[in-house]
Parts: sequence; structure tokens; C-alpha cells
Amino acid sequence: MSKPAIKEASEVILEVGRILLASGSTTNRVETMMLKVANCFGYPKTHAFVTPTGIFLTVSDGKNEHRTNIYRIESRQMNLGKITAISRLITEMEKAHCDVTNSKMSVTKLKAELYRVDHTQNWPTWLQIFAGGATSGFFCLLYGGSWLEFAVAYAVGVLVSLSVYLLGKLRLTLYLANTVGAMLIVLFTKLFQVWVPGYLNTDKIIIGGIMLLVPGLAMVNAIRDTMSGDLVSGMARGVEAIFIAVAIATGTGVMFKIWTLLGGI
Amino acid sequence: MDHPFNYLTLMQFCWSCCSIIGFSIRMNLRGIKVLFIALGAGLNWGTYLVILHYSKSLLLSVFLATLLVSIYCEIVARLVHTPVSVFVTCVIIPLVPGSSLFYSMRAYLEGDRALASHHIGYVFLIGGTIAIAIAVVSSVTLLGKRIARSAVTDRP
Repeated sequence: MSKPAIKEASEVILEVGRILLASGSTTNRVETMMLKVANCFGYPKTHAFVTPTGIFLTVSDGKNEHRTNIYRIESRQMNLGKITAISRLITEMEKAHCDVTNSKMSVTKLKAELYRVDHTQNWPTWLQIFAGGATSGFFCLLYGGSWLEFAVAYAVGVLVSLSVYLLGKLRLTLYLANTVGAMLIVLFTKLFQVWVPGYLNTDKIIIGGIMLLVPGLAMVNAIRDTMSGDLVSGMARGVEAIFIAVAIATGTGVMFKIWTLLGGI
Repeated sequence: MDHPFNYLTLMQFCWSCCSIIGFSIRMNLRGIKVLFIALGAGLNWGTYLVILHYSKSLLLSVFLATLLVSIYCEIVARLVHTPVSVFVTCVIIPLVPGSSLFYSMRAYLEGDRALASHHIGYVFLIGGTIAIAIAVVSSVTLLGKRIARSAVTDRP
């Protein structure tokens, strides 16, 4: 089987990079995966440069054919399931097709698989929202909350996950989305404090809610990118983590202040 | 109670596991790796509590717990064919200083600047400690890979 045309090949390679980067993978992994696919297609002299917001890719067969693409990533949403699925897909295809017998993997098959990965959800949305509630509730218990506080934190977690999901459809910027999320956590907790009879330690409930938003992925990506030598994306991710933390602090602070000004407790 | 291996630590371990099961479902993960991730998160929080009890040093216990759990991730993630960064991302969540962030904001609103800067200092110290522990493990792994590769290519 002859190798695929350079235009077709570079489109598929870019699609691999796009899905990985938009799901929040480390740039080093995006580059490695793209080079693996290019190598399997028979373009071993390919170079890729990936930053957190864009991909630069030059596909070349080392002789006279080469093609450069630039791709800008507009929206990014954390989705570790897609990263895992694509990494496994490419590793398996590399093992199966790129051996000494030199049978190249087929472009159409890879395209179909990528489409399938990109458009399947591992869990239904309602389950993800309830799982968000579980995260916040159990974190409340972890920090020493009572069972009543667990119940309230669970409800707050579900409501905040739902609101973040709905806000995601508005395509807010990262900073604004986290600020609004943190504001809603404080608002829902304070409202429950008014409605629910019995003593509630609101601190623990709010901390449980905040753990839903903390920038764990940005932090880990920043460290791993810096360690693998991608200084640009390491710095960018580090600043992203700090900004998210500031956004969460701002959101909680603003809502507390508004609640106090409205005469709440 | 002069030893930390009691049922309280066990319950903290379980709650850490449960919350990370929820977190990984929210992050769209599925399969056996969710259980391994939850186990790692429980291990992270449990080790932190045990070391904190013996050493009485917050940063040392955060460092050692993250170090241990990063090594766990490097091994187990390869066994279940998952990127290591996916594992590490979920597993360190219990130690991320969300509580210090909240307490510093609240202290600031109450007008207590000294307490606010005390807590914000902890946010950066704990965050930095986690970062250094992950960095140590991932750079040692990179070095190990490089040595293994050069040993293979240098062979006549």
C-alpha cells in the first residue's frame, strides 16, 4: 500500500493534535503523538511545535515534498477520557501497523476512529453532574464536616456542576467562568444555611465546593511541560494555574461581600 | 492516641477515595483506572496524615506524600496503559490547598491582614512543594528513560 497524500496525512495529524490539546494534554505528549502518526504514515522528517493555544506542524518526507500548517485552538475543555482514548488508539495502531512489514495504517480508518473518540461521552451528562456533587460532598467530610454538612455540600456540588455545565455553553473566558463558579458556591451555601434547620459550618461546605474548581490540571501540566523542556507552555500553564486560583478567591470574596452588604449573616 | 493507624485515618482514606471517584467520573474517565486513581488519592491523603502525625511538619509530609504517590502513578499508569499525567492530575487533588485559599480570602474580608497573608503564604508553599515533588519524580523518570535508550543504541 502506498503512503497517503501529504495533504490528507497532515489533516489527520492536525486532528490528532487538536483533540489532544483541546482536552488539556501536556504539549510534550501532543508533539510525541503527532510525530508517531506522521512516522506511521511514512513522513519521518516531520516537525511539530505546540503551545497551549496553537499547533505548528511541518509534514515532510525528507526529499522534495513538505507542507506546513498552523492551527489555532479556540476553546479548551478538560477531558481526561479523550486523552487516554487517543493515546491508547495511537499506541495500538503503531504496534499493529508500523512494523517491518511496512503496511501503513489507513487514513480513513484513523479518521473514523478519531471522530468516534471526539464525539462519544464515556458517561451521560447527568451522571457527571452528580459525580461533581459527590466530589464536593466527600471533600466536605474529608475536612471534618458532619453528615448534614455532607448532604448540603452534595446539593451545592450538584447545583454548581450543573451551572458550570450550562455556563460552558455560553463560552465564557476561563477567568470569568471560575469567578462565577466560585460566586455560585458561596451563594448556594448561604441560601442553604438560611433554609436548612440546624447548625451548618459553611466553611467546610464552601471548601468542598472550591475543590471542584481548583486548577490541578494546569498545575500538573505546567510542571511536566517545564520538566520536559517546553518552557513556553510551562510558563503559560503556570500563569493559568495562578490566574484560576485568583479567580476562585475573587469569586468567593465578592459573593461574601455582597451577602454581607445585603444584610445576611 | 499516639499512633495514627486508627479508624479515623481509615475513614479519611475512604472519603478521599470516594471524592476522587467522583472527580474522575466528572473528568470523563472510565474503566479499572478509576479505581486505581481513587486508591492513589486515598494513599496520598493517608500518607500525608501519617507522616504529619510523626514529623509534625506540614511541608515535609506534603512533599513525601506527593513523592510516594507520583512514583505509584509512574508504575501503575504504565500497567493500565494510561498517560501518567492523567493519573497525577487526579491523584494530587486532595492536597491542593483550596482550603488555605478560602481561609485567606475570608480573613482578608474580616480585616485580618496578618492571618490572610499567613494563609496565602501556605497556598504558595504547599503548591510549590507539590510542584517540586512531581518535578523530582518526572525528571528522574525522564533521565531513566534516556539512560535506558542510550544503553540500547550503544550496544554493538
